Amino acid sequence: MSVFVEIDHVDRVFALADGGQYVALKNIDLKIQKGEFVSLVGHSGCGKSTLLNILSGLDRPSTGGVILEGREVKGPGPDRMVVFQNYSLLPWLTVRENISLAVDEVLGTTPESERKEIIEQHINMVGLRHAADKLPGQISGGMKQRVAIARALAIRPKLLLLDEPFGALDALTRGGLQEQLMRICEESQVTCVMVTHDVDEALLLSDRVVLLTNGPEAHIGQIVDVPFPRPRHRMEVVNHPNYYGLRGEIVYFLNQQKRAKKRKAEPVVAVARNGLEKVNLDLGFIPLTDCAPMVIAKEKGFFERHGLTDVTLSREPSWKAIAEGVTSKRLDGAVMLAGLPIGLTLGMGNHSPLPMVSSIVLSRNGNAITFSKRLYDEGVRNLADFKGVIARSSDKVPTLGMVHPASMHNLMLRYWLASGDIDPDRDVSLTMIPPAQMVSNLKAGNIDGYCVGEPWNSRAIHEDLGFIMATDLDLWQGHVEKVLGVREDWANQYPQTHLSLIKALLEACEFCDDRRNREEVLEILCRPEYVGSDPIYTRPGLIDPYEFGGGMESKQLLRFNQFYVDHTNCPNRSESLWIMTQLARWGITAFPKNWIEVLERINRLDLYWEATRQLGLPQIEPNRHPFALFDGVTFDPDEPMEYLNSLPIRREVQIQEISLDSLVTA
Amino acid sequence: MTVQATQRSRFNSQGITTYLKTLIPPVVAIAIFLILWQVLTMTTGTLLPSPVRTVQEAGDLIFDPFFDNGGTAKGLFWQVLTSLRRVAIGFTLAAIVGVAVGVLIGTSELMFRALDPIFQVLRTVPPLAWLPLSLAAFQQANPSAIFVIFITAIWPIILNTAEGVRRIPQDYNNVARVLKLSKQKYFFKILFPATVPYIFTGLRIGIGLSWLAIVAAEMLIGGVGIGFFIWDAWNSSRVSDIIVAIVYVGIVGLLLDRLVSYIGSKVVPEEQKVG
Amino acid sequence: MQTLNDAALSNQATLTRDPYLVIENVSKVYPTPTGSYTVLENINLTVQEGEFICVIGHSGCGKSTLLDMVAGFRKPSGGEVRLQEQSIQEPGPDRMVVFQNYSLLPWLTAFENVLLGVNSVYPEKSQSDKEAIVREHLALVGLTEAANKKPGALSGGMKQRVSIARALALRPKVLILDEPFGALDPITREELQEELVKIWQDHQITVLMITHDIDEALFLSDRLVMMTNGPAANIGEVLNIPFERPRDRARIMEDPNYYELRNYALDFLYRRFAHDEE
Repeated sequence: MSVFVEIDHVDRVFALADGGQYVALKNIDLKIQKGEFVSLVGHSGCGKSTLLNILSGLDRPSTGGVILEGREVKGPGPDRMVVFQNYSLLPWLTVRENISLAVDEVLGTTPESERKEIIEQHINMVGLRHAADKLPGQISGGMKQRVAIARALAIRPKLLLLDEPFGALDALTRGGLQEQLMRICEESQVTCVMVTHDVDEALLLSDRVVLLTNGPEAHIGQIVDVPFPRPRHRMEVVNHPNYYGLRGEIVYFLNQQKRAKKRKAEPVVAVARNGLEKVNLDLGFIPLTDCAPMVIAKEKGFFERHGLTDVTLSREPSWKAIAEGVTSKRLDGAVMLAGLPIGLTLGMGNHSPLPMVSSIVLSRNGNAITFSKRLYDEGVRNLADFKGVIARSSDKVPTLGMVHPASMHNLMLRYWLASGDIDPDRDVSLTMIPPAQMVSNLKAGNIDGYCVGEPWNSRAIHEDLGFIMATDLDLWQGHVEKVLGVREDWANQYPQTHLSLIKALLEACEFCDDRRNREEVLEILCRPEYVGSDPIYTRPGLIDPYEFGGGMESKQLLRFNQFYVDHTNCPNRSESLWIMTQLARWGITAFPKNWIEVLERINRLDLYWEATRQLGLPQIEPNRHPFALFDGVTFDPDEPMEYLNSLPIRREVQIQEISLDSLVTA
Repeated sequence: MTVQATQRSRFNSQGITTYLKTLIPPVVAIAIFLILWQVLTMTTGTLLPSPVRTVQEAGDLIFDPFFDNGGTAKGLFWQVLTSLRRVAIGFTLAAIVGVAVGVLIGTSELMFRALDPIFQVLRTVPPLAWLPLSLAAFQQANPSAIFVIFITAIWPIILNTAEGVRRIPQDYNNVARVLKLSKQKYFFKILFPATVPYIFTGLRIGIGLSWLAIVAAEMLIGGVGIGFFIWDAWNSSRVSDIIVAIVYVGIVGLLLDRLVSYIGSKVVPEEQKVG
Repeated sequence: MQTLNDAALSNQATLTRDPYLVIENVSKVYPTPTGSYTVLENINLTVQEGEFICVIGHSGCGKSTLLDMVAGFRKPSGGEVRLQEQSIQEPGPDRMVVFQNYSLLPWLTAFENVLLGVNSVYPEKSQSDKEAIVREHLALVGLTEAANKKPGALSGGMKQRVSIARALALRPKVLILDEPFGALDPITREELQEELVKIWQDHQITVLMITHDIDEALFLSDRLVMMTNGPAANIGEVLNIPFERPRDRARIMEDPNYYELRNYALDFLYRRFAHDEE
């Protein structure tokens, strides 16, 4: 598809009365395809309406420009028709006259009979035949906006611009109109840009949601792709497994912006104390059982003991939010999925590479694959059965949930499926869902299974929604799961702080692994400010025997949550390398030609050894021997490329040099 | 059928009730006023005639407004008509020029800045102050009177029209800009209808002022006209005639005001009404 | 796809506490020139003391009429509304209403607006007592500093705070809110929702609130009353909102029940009782 509208590095600066300047928009760069529906979402005052006015030509950018079909927009024109929030109908003209005013003016060269037909056709389109001769004052707000939409579309604009079209209506009236607008846009295939602050509206209508940061200097903070198939219907859309994930992502962005507004008054400065460069740390975690080391370090005083006297734990809704928080420097560090520092360093998701450091592993194991009760009823007990189900139902592909592309859940789920000759991209549909939404999606029948950490497997078992197909003890016992991740520039700026953080977490890990402390760990985890789940769902695996559902007997799995024993905490570059091969295998990142360098940069073992030395702990090198997962296929860390090439199911593997040095100072 | 019939009759009787409700209070008030007037003139030794005496003395004026004995000796109808003719000419000119100038200074910021201060000064000048100037300019009574009407009525028309133009919602202008409406179409389809309520507010104030001014102006210039009639009656000590003439002036003034606002209500769309 | 536990659908019979506010077989019929028009028909709802009830439905479903009958502004054509076994016949200070458009007197300050109600309901109290009540309630909604401002100088959110303070200052038994946050921007709306729920919890007041916003209802209410469309609208279903209190907006969204309830309500409003505007 070709670029239809291009917003090219647009700035908009307003002169203030006191002689100063207000930069409303800064460096807005956006390309819109023909037929696309794009929403602009942000808080009031973020300049989204200004941007829309620039698109319409009613306002002009201070620098940059807007190009429509190769020609620069220099003023308003009927090829970019606007639907305003307050309808802007002329109150002295009837519904029909309002539409015909526009049609007669813009399509003046068209024969009159044809114009008449266009007018009548558009009156019908918005279902206002019975009100065609009424004045705007005689019809409701929703009807007025339908007239405005009919007027806009009747002149056949190339681009339809909607400025909070339903903002003045109540939430429920809005709902009906949204569906009508969606149908009209799908039929007329017009390219649309809509300003809204209604997240549900944006998700229902758009192909892409453009999130704007707060002004001044508002810019595009994030672009969310909305994958729901068209034609759309509200109930199908809200039942799509990704719906609440995407909704959560946008709401999260808006909340971040709201907080940023408040924070702006008091910018965070590093407080140096206790011989450390920075003792005021914001650390992120996701409410899952294996965030325990971070929580315990805070609650049991391990941070304090190592001089980190002002640590704030920030409970984040998704792994994407964790990645965003650390990237944007909102967070100093976070409990991360093992693959996340690697993915960020390799520039996953078309971002530029961001060197990360991960010098301590915080937990191993702790995940499971849950399948729905429906699959159980169809007789699925193992991977071969599942393949049989897929083969039988060729029309519908099973959907499985995972939490993040760089998560071990994704990589191991894919590895496991591929081992059973199931292509994870073709034979099933894998979809990214935040951990907390797995159970509700399974319950609603939106997904057929998932791979996630606790307490979300046990919750499904407890509510009798599914059964455990496999725990990761079955797939790869003792694999790396959660790590501490910080930016490399942060680690270089605050080396003593980083070291203290590692030491505190090491002690916390030791505390968590001791089964005598597990009841206390559980009590703290279940507090609402941390995981906040019912202990019933959190006990299995952590303390009690693990429950599998489906009539299987529960079993005590002592290594289900492994925080310290068996050299849990020492980063293992071989494991990181395996993760890199899997990320490359599924096309999530390229495989780095300079993988040795990348590994040394990420897994800074020197920091880990220094921490253990200072704590007086034994210093044992992890083995660098080849290892194998459940299927017995050996991974030799000296020959990653050979291993990668030997894997039967894989995508096209990209290999490239990841240049990290130029970025260090950035 | 029966249900409908009973309903209709109920609505009709309701209509009559409301009609009476609006009619009775003013009638009673007028009656009380007249009685009070009668009593006061009878008990105090004033020169003012009582209502009864007024009717007796000025009966011919009241009951035959259409007589014409030549010269200035004409019935009140003719007197009022002459005055109205002057007002009609002066006011029409003021309306045309006023709306045009109002649109001009409403659409052009430059014109507004240039002219508004002048208008603000001129509009405070009392109507009669213009009379000597216009007599000097026109040398004749009739054009001078018309000029006074014109200059009195024009200011509220200009200022209200300009205000209306400046207050056209930005949305309407945006619609015009996006549709690239021609100047002519913009004027007739958007600017004018959007300004109409303001124009009529100006016209209503203008017509009231015109009527005030004409009576005063005619007192000074002489000839036929209700103003000079009153002045003439005073000079001839016909106080009863003055009272009758004042009632005429008041009723005509009220009718003029109602006429303009009636036209306004027909022209202005319901939701455009100001206030 | 929409299956909801029976537990979530409220069952009046299982409630054990004494009824506080009872709406019994209430209907409302208006005479028109072309015959009578039934707005509401056969409405039954029993509210416990201290409950937070949200009412949702499309515009024109008569939910405002229903609340007006609880407030006493209108009388039911049939049936009865009772508060603590007393039949409601007229408006009273035990049932205060907060409107969407604030309805503050623009020539009075925030303080005077609140004082006005206090003066008329507690004429026997001393001036200093009355002023103390006003100050206390303005403080409750965080408006101590804006007490001497007039509504024109206050933002929409602050105006609605004054309106809530005015209602609460009379210590009503039932607080009735008619879409109180509909005109506010999303951030202010969330702030006010949080303040309202805190006040509700501290005062143990019974709340009836109209809303168009499902998320607002899920965050605030104990039960969500979903109305069918008029004419002759009635209560279609009542959803129990089981989230523990105190509620945290982000936290209830993590609860799998949240999406289930939300989708259930969406299904009710957009599919089963979709509203076709003319």
